[in-house]
Amino acid sequence: MGPPKRIKKDNDRGKWKKRKEDHDEYTEDDFGEGTDTDGVPDAAKNDVEKQDESAVEDEFGAKDYRSQMILKPDNMSRPLWVAPNGHIFLESFSPVYKHAHDFLIAISEPVCRPEHIHEYKLTAYSLYAAVSVGLQTHDIIEYLKRLSKTSIPDGIIEFIKLCTLSYGKVKLVLKHNKYFVESPFPEVLQKLLKDPVIQECRLRKNVDEIDKDGFITNVQDKAKAMQFGAKPLLNTAQQPGTTVIPENAVEQTPAETATVPEDITTFYDKIDKEDEDEEEEQQLKTVSFEVNQEKIEVIQKRCIELEHPLLAEYDFRHDTINPDINIDLKPSAVLRPYQEKSLRKMFGNGRARSGVIVLPCGAGKSLVGVTACCTVRKRALVLCNSGVSVEQWKQQFKMWSTADDSMICRFTSEAKDKPMGCGILVTTYSMITHTQKRSWEAEQTMRWLQDQEWGIMVLDEVHTIPAKMFRRVLTIVQSHCKLGLTATLLREDDKIADLNFLIGPKLYEANWLELQKRGFIARVQCAEVWCPMTPEFYREYLSCKTSKKLLLYVMNPNKFRCCQYLIRYHERRGDKTIVFSDNVFALKHYAIKMNKPYIYGPTSQSERIQILQNFKFNMKVNTIFVSKVADTSFDLPEANVLIQISSHGGSRRQEAQRLGRILRAKKGAIAEEYNAFFYTLVSQDTMEMNYSRKRQRFLVNQGYAYKVITKLAGMDDEPDLLYKSREEQSQLLQQVLSASDMDADEERIPGEGPRPIIRKLGNMASMSGADDAVYYEYKKSAASTTANKHPLFKKFRA
Amino acid sequence: MSNTISGKNLLRPTGLRCKNLHEYLKSRPPDILNKLYHNPPICLAVFRELSEIARHYVMRLLFVEQPVPQAVIASWCSKLHSEEHQRVVQVLNELNVWNEASIPGGLPGWILNSTFKKNLKIVLLGGGKPWTMSNQLETDSKPRDVAFLDSYALERWECVLHYMVGSQQQEGISADAVRILLHAGLMKLDEEDGSPVITQAGFQFLLLDTASQVWYFILQYLDTIEARGLDLVECLTFLFQLNFSTLGKDYSTEGMSEGLLTFLQHLREFGLVYQRKRKAGRFYPTRLALNIATGQNKPLSSDLEKEGYIVVETNYRVYAYTNSNLQVALLGLFCEMLYRFPNLVVSILTRDSVRQALKSGITAAQIVGYLRQHAHSKMIEAGPPTLPPTIADQIKLWENERNRFLFSEGVLYSQFLSQTDFEVLRDYALNTGVLIWQSERKRTVVVTKAGHDDVKRFWKRYTKGSN
Repeated sequence: MGPPKRIKKDNDRGKWKKRKEDHDEYTEDDFGEGTDTDGVPDAAKNDVEKQDESAVEDEFGAKDYRSQMILKPDNMSRPLWVAPNGHIFLESFSPVYKHAHDFLIAISEPVCRPEHIHEYKLTAYSLYAAVSVGLQTHDIIEYLKRLSKTSIPDGIIEFIKLCTLSYGKVKLVLKHNKYFVESPFPEVLQKLLKDPVIQECRLRKNVDEIDKDGFITNVQDKAKAMQFGAKPLLNTAQQPGTTVIPENAVEQTPAETATVPEDITTFYDKIDKEDEDEEEEQQLKTVSFEVNQEKIEVIQKRCIELEHPLLAEYDFRHDTINPDINIDLKPSAVLRPYQEKSLRKMFGNGRARSGVIVLPCGAGKSLVGVTACCTVRKRALVLCNSGVSVEQWKQQFKMWSTADDSMICRFTSEAKDKPMGCGILVTTYSMITHTQKRSWEAEQTMRWLQDQEWGIMVLDEVHTIPAKMFRRVLTIVQSHCKLGLTATLLREDDKIADLNFLIGPKLYEANWLELQKRGFIARVQCAEVWCPMTPEFYREYLSCKTSKKLLLYVMNPNKFRCCQYLIRYHERRGDKTIVFSDNVFALKHYAIKMNKPYIYGPTSQSERIQILQNFKFNMKVNTIFVSKVADTSFDLPEANVLIQISSHGGSRRQEAQRLGRILRAKKGAIAEEYNAFFYTLVSQDTMEMNYSRKRQRFLVNQGYAYKVITKLAGMDDEPDLLYKSREEQSQLLQQVLSASDMDADEERIPGEGPRPIIRKLGNMASMSGADDAVYYEYKKSAASTTANKHPLFKKFRA
Repeated sequence: MSNTISGKNLLRPTGLRCKNLHEYLKSRPPDILNKLYHNPPICLAVFRELSEIARHYVMRLLFVEQPVPQAVIASWCSKLHSEEHQRVVQVLNELNVWNEASIPGGLPGWILNSTFKKNLKIVLLGGGKPWTMSNQLETDSKPRDVAFLDSYALERWECVLHYMVGSQQQEGISADAVRILLHAGLMKLDEEDGSPVITQAGFQFLLLDTASQVWYFILQYLDTIEARGLDLVECLTFLFQLNFSTLGKDYSTEGMSEGLLTFLQHLREFGLVYQRKRKAGRFYPTRLALNIATGQNKPLSSDLEKEGYIVVETNYRVYAYTNSNLQVALLGLFCEMLYRFPNLVVSILTRDSVRQALKSGITAAQIVGYLRQHAHSKMIEAGPPTLPPTIADQIKLWENERNRFLFSEGVLYSQFLSQTDFEVLRDYALNTGVLIWQSERKRTVVVTKAGHDDVKRFWKRYTKGSN
C-alpha cells in the first residue's frame, strides 16, 4: 500500500506563521523616523535572508538545504554549518571551537549563544566590520569553507564577495593635521578620482613624493607593537601579543590537534598572524591623496554612493597639531583579556579605528573607554545619557587614570566646570543637542566645544540615541575617532544598522555566558513569577478600557504580596534589592506602602545621589524603588537582586539593561550557584504575559534561562503581608479605579514629546520600543519637590 | 459560577493504555486461560512474571494435591506485609492460577488450577511433548549474526512507524498491517478520501519506546487474530515459545500448522522474526520477539545503544543530528521545523507547536520523555539534569495552561417569558442545589444534569399552576 495522507498540518503551520507576524507587529520602535537610508551603501541593503526564498520546504515545513550542499566525509571534526540564508550554526563542543568562534565573531553577528550550539548570522554590516578590521575577502571564504561540515552554498560566497570586495579598501586618515584618502589598492583610488565630485574635494599640492599617478606613496617603518595607555612601565605585560600567544599554546595541546583537520589549524595560524602583522604589510604599499578639509562631509557621502565607504582612522601618533594631554592608566588598572581583545581590534594597526564595542553591563565598559582615551592621549569627549552617569564617568576616570579634577570637566545642567584647559569633557547627549536658549555660561562652553578638534569621542550607551540626534551631535562636534560603547546592540526597530555607518562597524562583542563562566560578571538566576489576578481585579481588567488595564495588572494585590515577600526574603539574606517599575502610580504606591525610598523622573539630582549613597553605604537601606530613569548607567555595584513589577511593553533592550544593573561581578560569591537574582513579576492571564515572553528573547538567546515560578514557597507562612483580606484588596481596587488616565500611563519623561495614550492594537508598536531613550534632567524648585514627598526623604534631606 | 460541581475534564486526552502481560491475560475469559495453560511455555511465562511472593506460594503448593486453608497461606506471610499478601491473592485469582475450594470442615481454601499445575511441573521437571520449535536442523549455510538480526528488526519496525507518520521515504507496508493499525485505533480512515491518517493514540504510540510499541502492537494484533481464522491459543503459545528462544539461533518451521505459518509471516513483516525466504524452512527470532512478554518496563537494548541525537537549548532550540525522516517527523510532532542540513535538523519549541501536539493528544510527559530518551551525549555529559529544567518546566506549564477549565455537564433553560418566571425557576434550582450558572440579564439558567428532571417537573407544575 502506498503512503497515507499526512496529517493536515499545513494549514496550521500557516496560522503559526501568521501569528508570528502579529507578534512582530509591536516590535517597531517609535522614534518617529522614516526609513532613513542615506549614508548607507547599496550593498548593505542586500539582505542575504531573502536568498533562500527559493529553497524548497520539505514535508515537515523545514527549509530543505540538503540539495544545496554536500556533507564532507570528515564532518565530525569540523564545527559548523552554513545555511544559504546566511545563518551559521556552530558546535561549541568542537575541538576547534575557539578558532571558529573568534573568526565568526569577526565576520558575523551572534544570534544566540546558549550552551551547545551557537547561531550566527552573516549580514552586510558584519562583513563590513570584518573587512574594516583587516580580513580579506578570499580569506573569509577560504576559512569558512574549511570550517564547514558541508560545502558552502554558492549564494553565500556570492554574498560575501559582494559585501566585502568594495568595503574597507579606502580609508580616511588624519595625519599631520591633513586629511588623506588612503588605500593599499591604487586602482581603487584611480577609480574614485575619476568621479568629478571627488576630484573637486582633492587638494593638490606640490609635494616631492608624488608619483606618476599623482599619489603619495607611503613606505613606513614597522610600527611598534601597540600598547594601551602608552605606559612604558608595564611594557611587557601589556603587549597584546603576549596574552594571545600562550592562549594559543594551551589550545593546541597534542590531543586536540590530533582530531583537528590540518587545514583548519594551519589556516587559523595564518589568519591570526596576519592580524598581528597587518600593519607592516599595509604600510609597505599604501597610496593616498590629500583632501580639502572643508569637503570631508562631501567626500564621505560621495564615497558611500560609489560603494566605497571610507573607514575613518586616526593616526594619533603623528598628530602634532593637537596637543597631547597628560594622562595615563594607573598601574592598578589591569585589563581583562576580553577588554584587551576589544581594544586590540580598535588599535590593531597603530591607528585608532572608529567603531562600537559591545560588552555586557558590568563587564567593565568604562575601563575600556578610559583606556582608549589614555591610548589616544588627545582631547577626549565623553557623551552619556544622564547627569548621574556623567558623575560616574568622572569617577571612573579618576579611579583608573592619572587624570585629576582639573583635567576633567563636567558639562551638565547642574554642574558646569570651567572647560578651558581641560583634557576630558564629560557631558550628556541632550546638552549637546539642546536647541533652546542656553545660559550665557553654557553658550560659552558650547562655542568652545565646537571650536575644538577632539581626538576621541566616547559614546556611552550608544544604542539609546536615535539616529537623528546622533547626526546632530556629529555635525556639532569635530572628532577624529569615535568609540561607541553599549551592552546591547539591539533596538526594537533594527535601526541599529545605521550606527554602523554613522560611527563605524562593531569591533567586538563578548559572549555573556562565557564571561559568566569565567566569573567576570555575576551568575544571575532569572525567574518569572506568575501572580494570579484576584477575581475582582480580573473582572475589572476584562471590562475596562485598555489604558486602565496596565494599572490593573501592575496593582494586582497578589503581585504586591509577591513583591513584598521577595523583598523581605532577600533583606533577611542581607541582599541589596532594586525594584523597577515603569508606572509611576505603582512605583509610589508600592514604595510608600512598604516604606522604602524611591527615585523617579522628578526626583532632583541631589536627592538621587543621596538615596544612591544611602543604598550603597547605609546598612538600613537595603531596598530602593526606581522608575525607568535607572535603566541605564546607574552604577549600583552593591545591588544583587532585581525585582521588576512593571515594564515597558515588550522591550528586549530594557530587559537586558535592567539585568545589567545586577551583573557586576560579586565578591566572594563562588560558593553559591547563583549570586544574583532577577525576578519579573507577571500577572497571569494578562497582556503582561505576552510582553514578558517577548522581552526575554534577547537574554534567552544569550543563554539565560528563565525559571517560571508559579507559587512562591513560604509565602503563605509569611506574617503580615499587606493586602491579604478581601476588604483591603477592594479598597486598593477602588484606588486604582479612581486613578486618572495620567496615572495609568507609563512615566513620561519631559522633553520626549506627547505620546499617544490610546493603546489600540495598531498602536501597540509604540509601546514596545525604546522611547525611554532620552533622559532629560531638570531642576524643580525646592518647595515643590518637598511638598509631595514621602516623609522619609524629608528626613534624608534634613 | 458555582464551583461545587466538577465534571470530568473533556479536553484532557485519554492516555494510551499499554497493558502488560498479566493485564492482558486477566482480561481473557477463564476458559481461554485454561486452554492456554495446556501449553507449558505459557505457564512458564506466567510464572516468571509473577511477583516473588506469588512464585513462592505457587512453589509451595505445586505438589500439594488438596486444597490448603486460606488462613494457613496467610500465615506464610508476616502481618506486616498483609497488604502485599492481599494483592498476590487477587492476582492469582484473576489469572486463574488457583481456585477457591472448600475444605471438609467448611474452611475456605485454595487449590492450584490443575492444568496449570500439571504443565508447570512439565516445564520445571521436563517431559511432555516436544516444543514445536525444537526440531533439529542442519546448520544454516549462511548463518545470520546478532548484529544483522538487530538491524533487520529495527529496519522492519521503523517501516511501520514511517508508514504511520506518512513519510514518503519508505516502502509501504502490507494491507494486513494497515488493518491492524486501523483496528488498534492508531490510524483512522480519512473522511474525505478514505486513506488512513494517524490518530491521537497513534501520536502517543510513536513516542513510546520500541519494546512497548511492539507489545502494544502485538496485543492489538491478537485481538484481530480470530477474525483471521487463526487460533489464538496456538499463536499465543508460539509467541511465548519465541520469548524463550535464543537470539542468533535458527529454528525450524517443520511441524507448524498452516495457521501458524501465516502468523509467522506476519511476525516476519514486523521484524519479530527473520526469514530469508517465505519457504526457507527456518527462521531466526529477533530481539523484538525476545522481549515481548516481559512487558514495557524493560527497554530494548538496541534503544539504549542507539546514539542520542537531540540537543535541547535553553532558548527553546532543538537540534537533531539526524537525516532520518522518521526522527524528523517525530520531532515535527511538537517542534516547528526551521532548517534541514545533510546531517542536522534545526527546529524550535514554541508555545504554538507544543499546543498543537497537546491538542493531538500527546502529553507533556511524553514530549519531555522523548527528548530525554534521545538526548545527545553532550547533553548527558553536561547534566544531570539532561534537559534544561526551564524547558521541561515550560512544556509542562503549557500543558497545564490547557487544563484550567473545569467542565460540568448541565442543561440550559432560556427564553423565559418574564422576569418572574426566570426568578422562580432560578430560586428553585438554587434551593435544591443544582444551579450551575445563571444570568439575570440574559434570563438563562444552567442546572446540573442530575437536577434536570426535578427542575423540569417543577417547571411543568409551575406553568400549569399559573395557567
